Parts: sequence; C-alpha cells; structure tokens
Amino acid sequence: MGTTTTNSRTRKAGRWLLAGLVAGFSLLGLTERADAQEILLTGPLAGAPAVRQLRLYREGRFEVAPAISFTLLDEYQRTMFVGARVNYNLTDWLALGVWGAYGAIKIDTALTDHVQDVNVARRRSSANQQATDPLGQPTIDQRLVSKNVGPDFHKQLGTMDWIVAPQLTAVPFRGKLALFDNVFVDSDLYFFAGPAFIGVNERKDCPRTQCAVDQAFDRATRVAIAPTFGLGFSFYVNKWNAIGFEWRGLPFSRNTAGFDTRGGGKDGNFPDDVIDSNDREFKFNQMLTLSYNLFFPTMPRISE
Amino acid sequence: MKKTRIGLLVAALLCASATSAWAQKKGAATKGAEAGGDQAAGDQAAGDQAAGDQAAGDQAAGDQAAGDDQAAGAPAGGDELPAGLPEGGGLGDICKIDPEACPKLDMDKEAAKPLDEQIYAMQQLFVLRRNRLELNPYWSFSLNDQFVQHNAPGIGVNYYISNVLAIGANFNWYINSDSAFNAELRRSGRVSVPLTEYQWGAALNFSYVPAIGKFAGFGDFIFHYDAYVVGGVGALSTRPIPVIDPDNRNFAFEPKIAFNAGIGLRIFLNRWFAATLEVRDYIFNDKLENLSVPATVREQQDDSNWYGDSKLTNNVQAQLGVSLFLPFSFEYRLPK
Repeated sequence: MGTTTTNSRTRKAGRWLLAGLVAGFSLLGLTERADAQEILLTGPLAGAPAVRQLRLYREGRFEVAPAISFTLLDEYQRTMFVGARVNYNLTDWLALGVWGAYGAIKIDTALTDHVQDVNVARRRSSANQQATDPLGQPTIDQRLVSKNVGPDFHKQLGTMDWIVAPQLTAVPFRGKLALFDNVFVDSDLYFFAGPAFIGVNERKDCPRTQCAVDQAFDRATRVAIAPTFGLGFSFYVNKWNAIGFEWRGLPFSRNTAGFDTRGGGKDGNFPDDVIDSNDREFKFNQMLTLSYNLFFPTMPRISE
Repeated sequence: MKKTRIGLLVAALLCASATSAWAQKKGAATKGAEAGGDQAAGDQAAGDQAAGDQAAGDQAAGDQAAGDDQAAGAPAGGDELPAGLPEGGGLGDICKIDPEACPKLDMDKEAAKPLDEQIYAMQQLFVLRRNRLELNPYWSFSLNDQFVQHNAPGIGVNYYISNVLAIGANFNWYINSDSAFNAELRRSGRVSVPLTEYQWGAALNFSYVPAIGKFAGFGDFIFHYDAYVVGGVGALSTRPIPVIDPDNRNFAFEPKIAFNAGIGLRIFLNRWFAATLEVRDYIFNDKLENLSVPATVREQQDDSNWYGDSKLTNNVQAQLGVSLFLPFSFEYRLPK
C-alpha cells in the first residue's frame, strides 16, 4: 500500500516536473522568437557608431554647479547643505573636480523635540523631589541619564558643518529624454567617488566622573575623513546649462546624539561613563542634491 | 530709371541666392543617401525617425535594436525590387546597394492599415505597451523609518490601456526589523517612541508614463528607459510593537486605508524585460501605542487603554525589481 502511494506520488511529481519543463521551454521558445526580431543591421549602417554628431557637452569644459543637498534618514537632525561642484572634464566621460558644501540649515527632528520635552519634565520632577527629599537625591531616571542628556538636548547633537570632497566623475551613459512626447532634453548619467573631509561638531570627550556636569555637554569640532560616492543625472536645458540631480553616500562614524553608548563591558558594547571616540557609531550618511550646472566655454564641441 | 535697374538687379540676386541655398541642402541629402552612411539617412533607417533626435542635437545612427523592422523583412537575394517599391531612388537605392537590407513590404497591405493611430513626436517607440500586461516582482526597502525597517517582497501587475496609461494592482508582504537604535535610545535617554510594524499592503493603482528616453552606454550600445508616475488606494495592515507596556499589551494587525503615490524608472533590456526602480509613498492613518500606562493592573490589561494617538504616517519605500511584458512580442502598426 505504501509502495503504491509512493509510486503514485512519484508519478504525480513526474507529471508536474514534465509540465514545468514544457512551460519553461515554451517560455524560452517565446523568448527566442522575440529576440529573433532584433536582427543586427547589415548594409550601409553595419558597424556604424551608436551615435553620430553628438554634442560633447563635457569634453574640455569647466562645470560650475551651485547645489543644495538634503540629508536622508537622520535620527535627530536634518541638514541642508548649500555649496557647489566644480569639475574640469578631461574627456566627455571623465572629469576631475571638487564638491564643497556648508551645512547652512539644520532642522531638529520630532524625536529630538520629544527627548527634550521628556528631559525638561524629568529635570523639573527631579528638582522637585530633591527639594522635598531629605537626602536631596535626584530621581532614578535622572541619575540614569545624567551622563547622556544635558540641560538642552538640542545643543549636544552631533552635526556636519561643512564638507569638501575632491572627486573623480565618470560619465558612461549619455542619452536623451522625451517628456510628454513633446519636450526633448539631452541627459547623462554619471558616477563619482573620492575622499571627503567633513567638519564635524559633536559632544566633546569627557573623562569618567566628569560627564554629568553641564559643561560636559558642550561640543567640539573635528575633521573626519570618509569615502564618498554616488550617482547623478544631468538634464541639459541648453548648450551650456543643465539641471542636476544626484544621490551621495558618505559613510563614517560619529556620535549623533552625544550619548555614552560604547566602551564598557566585555565586548565594549555597553556604556563606560566616558564620552570618547568609542561612542561614535557607524552611520551611512546619505543625501540628495539638486544643482544647476553651468558649462564653460558655452559652446560644446560636436563629435564626428 | 537707375533705381529701377538697381532694384531689378537686387531682386535677381536674391532669387539666385535663395535657389542656390536650397540646391545645396537637397544635393547634400541626395549625396548622403547615395553614400548610405549619411547621418540623416542613418537616423531614419536606424531608429527613432526622430524629431527628438534632431531636437536633442545628435543623430543616433546605430539604434540597431530599434531599427530591425526593415532588416527583418530583407529578401533572400537578387537585384529585383519588391513590389510596390519605387525604382528610381529612396528605398530602391538601398536594395541596389545591399540586397540583403532591402525591405520586403506589401505596400498595398501596409496602405490598407487604419491611419487613426496616435501620432508621437518620437515614432516607433522601442516598446509598445498598449494592451500588454506587465508583471513586476520587486523587493522594497524603507527610506524614511529609522526605527523599524519595513522591507518587503512584492508584486505589481499593470494592464496598459494605452501606451502611456495603465491600471494595476500591487501587493507587499512585509518583513519588519526593529532597529538597534531604539534600544540604545531607551537605554541612553530613557525615552521610548511608539513603533509600528506592517504585515501586508495591497493597492489598486493608475500608472502614467510621461517620459521616455534612451542612453548610449560607453558610446557603444543603446538602452531605452521610461519614467512613470503611479498613484492609487488600498489597505495596509499594521499594528504597534509594544514598547511602553510590553508585559500587558499584545496588539493584533488591523488593515487601514492607505493612499499611495510614487515615481519610477524602467530600464529596458529588451522589448519585454526591464529593470525597475521606484520610490513610493504609502500614506495612512496609523494608530500608535498609548504612551501612558494606567495605574491598576485591570486597567493595564484592558485593551481599550492600549491605543494612544493616531498619526498620519508616510511610509516611503524604494522598490527594486524587474518587469516582464506579456505578450513578449508586438507588431508596429506602420512601417518605418
């Protein structure tokens, strides 16, 4: 009985397998037919270049691009950078340049406001308790966070104040875009990479036993070095103007909240009552950039 | 009298110069066509027959994938011209130069086709979408929730009513991961924020394709892409992750009405297969966990006390996937 059932199952599985193979080969067959339509050109156009008389928007031209960048996925504070990119295009597909930006506008997130609201209430409650408590002890919550949250949480956040990034830009893709079947613009897709120098302002180091005083929540500046890379689109408005849109990654470690989170315990993953570089956490900083690109000289060359 | 003579002379010069200019252009075009490699001829033979090409300032000569129709109909050989083709130039010349590239068209049949087709500035689009079904499996990532990552496999199905407009539906099954950042915030700041996890989402959508384009990669190969906008309405099943009073609270998933809007990019690898990248915002009214805990155990266990404020939530997701268009092949209504 068991053998019969097994045979029946095997037959069923075989049928399913056969059906699957037939379906698979049918799909492949259809694929073959679709591909067969895409016949390579013969005759006068055989071997012709993909594009003739291409406007070389980049080759031998300087690009000056005022830009505004917006950070993404920030826990405590969003930053808007105002800056510019300056490139010299060695060829139509390779450029050497620098991007620089200043963190002009910083907007705290709702979480930051929430933490500060709780902080204010907690400090008030603790002060009341101390006033009535004969031992003058602060609340447990206040004691637990005394090294992490200062009088004003907004003022202990880590910020990125400026960025300077020399970078190489490769432009492998060049094309055109038809919008609403009516407006036509040339465009290119580029990739860039290079080192970035970042002016970081974050909670200054403090030794054990001194991290709970108000002055311990002051910040200090430092310069971080990190890789930066990304990709972008240029949409050419005319022969010397373009609108640019790019995404940039800027991964490096920093202490965004000024908390003591690392350095203690066996594996260093627990607080150690010290604020130092151990408390910096790796963060994949990302930003979107809008730019208006100006090319000089204003007339592009034309390829053969 | 002298003025009259001068006037006649100027008029004659003007007429002569205008005629001369026209003659140069026409001559150049004819010469180019004879040579077979002229840019203008190349553009028409090769691709988009493009108003767009010329407006954009370059001439795509080797858009080979888009230019297959004529080649596909090439006769087996011989110098004989196909019926209906003019002998004295134009397509006839192509047949003389390269018989293999000579188009084989039944001009009577082609002429009998209806001419009520919508006219596009860029003719012979690389991909026709009308009356085709698009299957779009994808993987989606959270873009704006730093507390809980809502990654999701999903699938979208679109039916194109026209070349630019589609109706469709999509479905997501979410895999949630609570970020380590939440635990650190609770430990370091003694502050909890209400968290939400998602179970599934489904929506009916409209898609519109306002932009199409193409890129030449390394000046060698050409690929086509389009950009689309999508919007719709559906449901998103969510529930709070209990962080304020996890001992007593156990939430069940509840579907909420969710509106969505997004933009996407589709890069065609051939006429039925494309890679897609989409950013979509799912907007819904989320019911959050109550931030306060009642005093008595009875009240703490009463589920009517578990929910707190409602909040309009934007769940922005990036969706990476592929698109398959069915049927795989299609026929252009008019020859190039």
